[in-house]
Amino acid sequence: MSYYFTILSPTDTPIFNIAFGTSKGGGDGIARFRFPDTAQYMNQFIIHSSLDILEEAQWTNGGMYLKHIDTYPPASAYISAFLTPSGTRFLLLHQPPQLPTSGSSSTLGASSLLASGTTRSSSSVAANPTSAQTEEAVRQFMNEVYESFVKTAMSPFYRQGMEIRSPVFRGKITAAGKKWL
Amino acid sequence: MTSPGDGTPVKPPPSFSPGIARNASKSRFPDEGEATASLDAELADARTGSSPTSPLPTATTELPIRSASPQSRSGRSSTPQLARSSIGSPFDGRSDGSEDIRSLIIRAFSPTVAIHASEDTDALVRNKGFKGGFRDLVRPYGETIPGKVIIRDSIGSSRAWDDYGVRFVNIKGLGLANTGRDSPLAQMEEVLEKQLNSEETTLGGPISGKDVLGVPATTPLSKLFLRQLLSSTSTTPHETFGHPVASVIAISSRNTAPLETLRQLYAESSTGDKRLPDWIQQDYLRYYVLIHDEERDDIAESTKLYDQMKRHFGLHCHLLRLRSSQCVVTDDDSTQVPPCEWLSPREHLSGVGEAETLVDLGTDGTPYLFDSDATAIRTFIRELMVQSVIPFMENRVAVWNDQVASRRRGISGRLAAVSRRWPFGSSSRSGIGSSGGNTGNYDTTHNFYAPESPEATLRKMADFAFMLRDWKLAASTYEMIRSDFGNDKAWKYHAGAHEMCAVSMLLNPLAMSAKIKLESIDQMFETACYSYLTRCSDAPHALRSLTLAVELLKSRGGSATETAARWAMRVMDFGLVESIGQILFMERVAACYASKTPVTGAKWGARRRKAGMWSILAADQWLKVGKPSLASACLEEAERLYADVLEVDGAFPMPEMQTFVDNLRHAVKVEYLEARGFDARDESPIEDPIGTEEISEKLDKRSHRRSLIGLPAQLDAGNLKLSPGPGTLEEAPNDDFERA
Repeated sequence: MSYYFTILSPTDTPIFNIAFGTSKGGGDGIARFRFPDTAQYMNQFIIHSSLDILEEAQWTNGGMYLKHIDTYPPASAYISAFLTPSGTRFLLLHQPPQLPTSGSSSTLGASSLLASGTTRSSSSVAANPTSAQTEEAVRQFMNEVYESFVKTAMSPFYRQGMEIRSPVFRGKITAAGKKWL
Repeated sequence: MTSPGDGTPVKPPPSFSPGIARNASKSRFPDEGEATASLDAELADARTGSSPTSPLPTATTELPIRSASPQSRSGRSSTPQLARSSIGSPFDGRSDGSEDIRSLIIRAFSPTVAIHASEDTDALVRNKGFKGGFRDLVRPYGETIPGKVIIRDSIGSSRAWDDYGVRFVNIKGLGLANTGRDSPLAQMEEVLEKQLNSEETTLGGPISGKDVLGVPATTPLSKLFLRQLLSSTSTTPHETFGHPVASVIAISSRNTAPLETLRQLYAESSTGDKRLPDWIQQDYLRYYVLIHDEERDDIAESTKLYDQMKRHFGLHCHLLRLRSSQCVVTDDDSTQVPPCEWLSPREHLSGVGEAETLVDLGTDGTPYLFDSDATAIRTFIRELMVQSVIPFMENRVAVWNDQVASRRRGISGRLAAVSRRWPFGSSSRSGIGSSGGNTGNYDTTHNFYAPESPEATLRKMADFAFMLRDWKLAASTYEMIRSDFGNDKAWKYHAGAHEMCAVSMLLNPLAMSAKIKLESIDQMFETACYSYLTRCSDAPHALRSLTLAVELLKSRGGSATETAARWAMRVMDFGLVESIGQILFMERVAACYASKTPVTGAKWGARRRKAGMWSILAADQWLKVGKPSLASACLEEAERLYADVLEVDGAFPMPEMQTFVDNLRHAVKVEYLEARGFDARDESPIEDPIGTEEISEKLDKRSHRRSLIGLPAQLDAGNLKLSPGPGTLEEAPNDDFERA
């Protein structure tokens, strides 16, 4: 499972980006997306396009964690979202590893995922991106990110909409990713 | 719009950039509304006046129009392409597009009439310049029957249709397997490629081709694709659309033994070597036509013969009076034969429709007919359909409905079906061979139902009802039989019934209340596609059902459009289409998302970003297959879609997206100009107007996402963006409030 996590300001400007892979089941925490290296922009395209759904979901869902809101089938990318009260959006794109057997002919899903030696066991999170366990794990992750985010945002040197460059924050997100995803 | 032939300068691909010039125009004309109009006029003058030797300056002068903001766009309704993007309700024109597609789909399922002409008839027609004989002569005229055709449905109410058609086929070879060198899908791809190339040369770039129609929902290419797809399927046992409803037995007045010949033709078609395959029901309508040669034969003779025919064969006769000499364009009353709309991919490749589409007027190859002949043929077809074929079909449907379907619908019929399915007591359905849980009517060795079996009859009845556009009856009949086919493991029938059931439900304008229906329709398409693809490995039919799903769900609007987009993605995922087809489906996905309109009164619910993304991806793919003009059209479309959701035109918030789009724009521009013979390589992407300098000029008017504006509990998001990216300057004049 590979993850791409973005925090978007209320005006859709990204203020934080991170890509990481799963650490569960022997994963090495390195993201391996299905897009070839030249097409990494696809992550941003997918995230950006899911804002359509997010804008709809935020009026129909009362909670801050909006759960799995969108899917991009050609690359089987799943988007989960979290909405803070200030209108900042956390978007997590997760993509299960491509099975070596599936001969997907989709042009966009062309895999760069080489059959690397890391055999991922079928841990619940990695195997099924829409399962209840995954939802729960993502929720935990989001809550933890939210906590860090609030702390960062309360820094007197931070103003809303500013890019977050704090290494501490990045470290915390990485840790949360390791812990939950 | 300019075309290359005029000697006017090359038009740049429209999508280059929301450029500097826009800002320039903004600063120059604070009151944009009228100013742009005059600006446009100026530019139009400049465009026509300038010489072709200095294309690039012109190109840059034109940029402001292309990249204009929504307000100025709406001011320029003179060009169709921009008219469609006028803000307000961008999707006004779209309903026409979907109606068009609907009509196309409906007309694709027209009744089939087999032509069985005698030698002398074909010889006469060949004389007139139609190499394929009588069928080639009548075929183009059958595609639209002039005037309204009134059809009564099963509950007795009639409805008039003015786009009814009929498909004429030759009786010989009907039902033979498609023995082309490659599959219909590969042929389709080839046709698309051919069309693309020819468009490039004749139209000077499909941009203009696209602009003519204006509605992005249906590009001519995707229409061609749909038409190809719907006419590519050959006659198969599992659906009866290709089976003849009637056959026209034609002789000419040259025949020396007319009645004898008619009898012989009849015998040939019912027992002889032209007998249709076993799985086609044999009791179709026979219609007898006498072709009178106006120039050589005596009308009195022919009338006498015609009277004799009427006495022998009853009312289903017609006397068609044609002139036997060939008509040329210089003749007084010559009219051009309309081009055939429904050419199968194979015919396209072998060049049947070529003469009409490619060659200019006046050259040989384009068939012409005398006006009187054309009128006679039209009258003949109308009479054939209105007085014979349609009443025959109506009658059949009524009879079958009465005798076969109602028996099934009744309680006893249901009980019988149940008891057949689960034979009480004995060994149950795992039995061997044809019996054992199923009806036993399915011929497992040849994979078809005997045409007299109730299943085949019901399927035929449903198809007849479908062709008569009584979708309610059709849907209920398909619904009734679809599970039977599954029990008999007649997978192709199973798939076909599911497919048509869903299609007729979607076509039925009245039904469809809620989501539940949509879900069941989804389920049906899913089953159909699984049966076609996995159980029968019949890719053309699977593609047809999925494409129908996409188009019809899209025309439903609302949440169905998203389902449509999903199906389109499935098509790509299954690999049913090849490279050009893939791109066409990308465009379809974009169109599906674009047609989703926001919830009334709110700013959310649209799928602009998704549509924009797919357009960009399609543009990328077009570029990869070397069609920069199509790519630029897609890019422009994407820009239009993104205009609503981006803070600043053409400036994406995400850096990698921005880079990608900029590079794409530049690549398209370079290739486009190169294709036109200009070297644009020296322009580096840095010069692209999306430079930093321009961004600093950009005035961001909104501090919030549009979806939030006007809603209570407004989030007081910060307007202070210190991050790199689109800068925000608060002192900007708020001239953008209309969009908010």
